[in-house]
Amino acid sequence: MIEFKLNGATVQTDDAPDTPLLWVVRDTFKLKGSKYGCGAGLCGACTMHVDGQAQRTCVLPVSAVAGKTITTIEGLGTPQDLHPLQAAWVEHSVPQCGYCQSGQIMSAAALLAANPSPTEAEVDTAMAGNICRCGCYPRIKKAILASGESSSPSAADLATEVTS
Amino acid sequence: MNTTPVMDKKLISRRTFLRTSAVTGGGLMVGFSLSGCSSEQPVLLPLEGAYEPNAFLQITPDNVIRFYCPRDEMGQGVSTGLATLIGEELDVAPWDMKIEWAGVHPDYVNPDFGVQGTGGSTSIKAHFQHLRQVGANVRAVLLEAAAGELDVPITSLSTDNGHIHSGGEKYPYGKFAATAAVLKAPEDAPLKSTPDFKYIGHDFPRIDAVAKSTGTAEFGIDVDIPNLHHAVVRRSPVAGGKVKTYNAQSARAIPGVTDVVEVGSGIAVVAEKYWVAKKGAAALEVDWALPELARVSSAQIRADYQDSLSSEGVMAAEEGNLDTGFASAAHTVEREYWAPYLAHAPMEPMNAIVRIENGEADVWTGSQGNVAPQGLVARYAGLDKEKVRSHNTYLGGGFGRRATLTHVIEATQVALATNKPIQVLWSREDDIQSGIYRPASLMRIKAGVDETGHITAWQAQRVGGNITPETLSNMMPALLPGMVGDGVIDWMVGVADSTFAGWVVDGSSVEGLHEDYDLENFTVEHITRDHGLPLTFWRSVGHSYTAFAKETLIDELAEAVNMDPVAFRLANTRNKTRLNNVIKAAGEHLKTMQVPEGQSLGFAAHSSFNTDVAEIAQVSVVDGRIKVHKVVCVVDCGMAVNPDVVHAQMEGAVMYGLTAALHGKLELQDGAIVQSNFHDYPILRMDEAPEVEVVIIDSKTAPTGVGEPGLPPIAPAVANAVYAATGQRLRELPLQLA
Repeated sequence: MIEFKLNGATVQTDDAPDTPLLWVVRDTFKLKGSKYGCGAGLCGACTMHVDGQAQRTCVLPVSAVAGKTITTIEGLGTPQDLHPLQAAWVEHSVPQCGYCQSGQIMSAAALLAANPSPTEAEVDTAMAGNICRCGCYPRIKKAILASGESSSPSAADLATEVTS
Repeated sequence: MNTTPVMDKKLISRRTFLRTSAVTGGGLMVGFSLSGCSSEQPVLLPLEGAYEPNAFLQITPDNVIRFYCPRDEMGQGVSTGLATLIGEELDVAPWDMKIEWAGVHPDYVNPDFGVQGTGGSTSIKAHFQHLRQVGANVRAVLLEAAAGELDVPITSLSTDNGHIHSGGEKYPYGKFAATAAVLKAPEDAPLKSTPDFKYIGHDFPRIDAVAKSTGTAEFGIDVDIPNLHHAVVRRSPVAGGKVKTYNAQSARAIPGVTDVVEVGSGIAVVAEKYWVAKKGAAALEVDWALPELARVSSAQIRADYQDSLSSEGVMAAEEGNLDTGFASAAHTVEREYWAPYLAHAPMEPMNAIVRIENGEADVWTGSQGNVAPQGLVARYAGLDKEKVRSHNTYLGGGFGRRATLTHVIEATQVALATNKPIQVLWSREDDIQSGIYRPASLMRIKAGVDETGHITAWQAQRVGGNITPETLSNMMPALLPGMVGDGVIDWMVGVADSTFAGWVVDGSSVEGLHEDYDLENFTVEHITRDHGLPLTFWRSVGHSYTAFAKETLIDELAEAVNMDPVAFRLANTRNKTRLNNVIKAAGEHLKTMQVPEGQSLGFAAHSSFNTDVAEIAQVSVVDGRIKVHKVVCVVDCGMAVNPDVVHAQMEGAVMYGLTAALHGKLELQDGAIVQSNFHDYPILRMDEAPEVEVVIIDSKTAPTGVGEPGLPPIAPAVANAVYAATGQRLRELPLQLA
């Protein structure tokens, strides 16, 4: 039995210890926001925060997160209560197919937590592990830089309007 | 048998093909009805007291307005675009409607195809008139109902975002749902004129942006149902290989593995959790009977294509007289161009859920045509189509890949064999190595130009496989009625195969090789060489390679007569007004660009899917490495229904095209694909992504496609910039300096 914190709640699993965290979160805890893209830590679609650090969870055995704190996209914000980054994502109409965006946002959130005002080059470096096949990169970058400067209340208002 | 001459020189376009196959498909080509009054009713959510005027709209008494989106959302923004069309005339903000994915019904066919499918950059164009009319008709009924209930003249009423205004009061549409339901909708309510548009032509966030930024958008992979079991399939390393023998012992030894079953494509291992099934599949020992393709490697394919260039092909298009044309040329340039096989690699790998219970079935998968999963499950489970409910979801990328659904067949076969609800999920390795591909192409163009810069002759050839036979073999089982047996399908596909190989040109194979320029003397010839790797549509299809050949050669012709590449293109597109205008606009833009020291510009233009695009690439080459700093994209797509979505599609197409231009390459070793995941099939990443500036030509004409047309010009624009930077003409994709 492996125990860890998932979006604030303490959870336990008897999945095999070599099961990647991604599949424990998706199949056992039924949180489907984090995605499978490559299974090899190459695309970033599965990115979650492990003790605040962005990690590729498709190659992270669940045994390695015993006692740790995990945050997924569901723990970052919700449609009714968007994280400022998510609001910026909406304001810039970042997503196309949207499949990679949970991972993109989790990587970006970890970057901004460590470096609230990154340069363009720092954004490039921090986000180079996340592939977007639709090619939303210019908008991802804009959204991150916009959130970095301020939390953009106009974006949050706009997003609320769209969801309501 | 003396029928060949009739078919000679015939060109079958993708659209003609789809129409033809739909007609062959036994009455599937049903005209859409605005009133939704076909024999079988479309399946809408069961909602008490809802007004359901047609297959597209449902308005509840508490004023929840649902739009059943007939096209598939794969990122191209179609749900935003189509909601905008219907919402404009219904007078409801697109973001205030709830979007549901349409089930299978004739009313949801793509008017451009005659089948319920999404592709070919057709959706906005095909539904522009249609869905606005649906919206206008329903608004007219609501007004009539309101006039009756409120006992006021209809002319005193107005509407605004789902409400009817009357004498200072406003009433939700839903208040009149019951009355409207007993009235007959008009079929031709007047449409707004362009200046009155509230939503069309205006920017607002995509309506799916919140769901896709919060992890709450449901993709096929995310669907969960009670007792769902996961299956991982081990497939032949070479396409078309069959299981000879297998040993399941070590797979069954993995705790949690519930079943190991043989299916058409290989051996499936089943468990309650995906990871367990994955471990089980890895532990299997399988011996394969390999097909002819296993004798083939990349070098041989290339050599076969090269040899074939000198053999006689089938004429796809011709006009004038080549001899006369070349005789009047001052310069003749002849070049060869190569484009490799490519995988689509959408971020969401292929997956499908199939549940078969009590003689009925459900299938959940994100597809580019909800009718196909229904047809496949019905055929492979031996059920009537009416007994199969097909549920669409968001698609984690399409690009043509999600029109081929062998994963649905696998899920059906595993569900039948195990009597369990099954999700089949492909790994990324499966996606790259067991998929269906953009064909490789060898092209040769010989062109003549006179001293004034006029193209006098154009002789183009393309060698490679055709996508239509493969597409037929994948679509026929889905679209044909169950009574048409597999033997007949095999026969039809066989006929198609030999037809396209021998005497009819598959239009997709050569599209874009000659159409854009004013050519009086030209031929386009096709030589089919197919080694058996499965082939299909890949974003922009034939244009993805023909534009590269055509637009880099055009640069060489301009240079031969010492003309500016933009001026040369303008001089040779006088009869292609819209393309000429786009080239002119891009040329003006180019003159204003401040190019930093060490960077060079390249230009290309191409017309595809009724849309004209010119692109400028700003490039540097350092230590043999090509870096694209900026791309300017000028597009005329008619009226931009949502300009920001058009921008996004151009940006995305540039990135998708850059991946192909700079990295994309699949190779075969003994018939097996060498590449396997993103380490050796690299996708453009943020640190390589250029700034993209999009300029939309202001237009009042009806919209044309935007999903694909941004892609074809980018590879030649970059190649032309690399020439400007280095003096090297690159004629192979991906671009690599000597």
